[in-house]
Amino acid sequence: MNASCTECGATLAVPNDAIVGELVSCKDCSQEYEVAEISNGNVLLKPAEQVGEDWGE
Amino acid sequence: MKVSITFDRLRWEEKALSEAAKAAGLEASLVDSKGLIFEVPMKHPDLGEVVLQRCISHYRSSTLTLMLEGTGLKVINSYDVAETCSNKLATSIALANAKVPTPRTFLALTSEAAEEAAERLGYPFVLKPFTGSWGRMVTVVRDRNTLQSLIEYKEELANPQEQHMYYLQEFVRRPPRDIRAIVAGDDIVACVHRIAPPGEWRTNVARGAVSKAFKPDVELKEIILKAADAVGGGILGVDAMEPESGYLVHEVNNTVEFKGAQSAVDTDIPAQLIKYVSQVARR
Repeated sequence: MNASCTECGATLAVPNDAIVGELVSCKDCSQEYEVAEISNGNVLLKPAEQVGEDWGE
Repeated sequence: MKVSITFDRLRWEEKALSEAAKAAGLEASLVDSKGLIFEVPMKHPDLGEVVLQRCISHYRSSTLTLMLEGTGLKVINSYDVAETCSNKLATSIALANAKVPTPRTFLALTSEAAEEAAERLGYPFVLKPFTGSWGRMVTVVRDRNTLQSLIEYKEELANPQEQHMYYLQEFVRRPPRDIRAIVAGDDIVACVHRIAPPGEWRTNVARGAVSKAFKPDVELKEIILKAADAVGGGILGVDAMEPESGYLVHEVNNTVEFKGAQSAVDTDIPAQLIKYVSQVARR
């Protein structure tokens, strides 16, 4: 499955076994996305959340 | 039996736990917490017999756990455990009260008191944020001038606890590594050394530390399990150091990451953690 990077326009290859919630990064600009929806072989991405002060173990 | 694994950032760990749950014959659901909405009071949600809380954001994690426990659901780890582990002071208190060896620690409620506490503790010492992970903002303070500069920086922070209060801890002379034990209930599932990368004193895998398996001795096993019990028990990551004077536990992690440890051990960590989840669900 392919999608476009909204940051730099590069084509993002999303693995066919990806699931909703999974993270993918643009190889060109490193922008991180989260898989928001998968339907009929099409994938919808949204920008992933940025690291928060309270993130961690 | 159904288990829900709540997340806000789907990492290798959550996918591995989901696969392990399915392999164990459980009905496993990965639930994105970011899309959940609750009305208070609420009915028992359809999340199964037990929820494995894996949110990476502490506040999201503990708030969701509070809500889910409020409906009568079992959550691993519990709200109380999450709160104890997420606040370094609460962890220190729990460890000290349970007589678990832990580094000497001071709390100071003003910058002036922090300077006094530093004198009592002696330089160098470690200044840590109350909440936080991956070694962020953990600083070795080598002299009074550095502390005074750090105080100025801290006073600019937005979080009132971090802005005005100080958690100071003894700088422990240890080898350039620490110990990470992954605990599930009464079992030590895996134990590794985390070896700091060149030029880094912190041993967080998030900072490039490498994991190497080792077998804990009887004394260390006892200390690890006592530390896990001290914070309330569950699925935990107990971090310890090994100075010449003996083992010291410095942290217990509530949402333990285990990708680094898994790379070093043969034990199937997610399978062992799911085994514990099943046991809790049956209680």
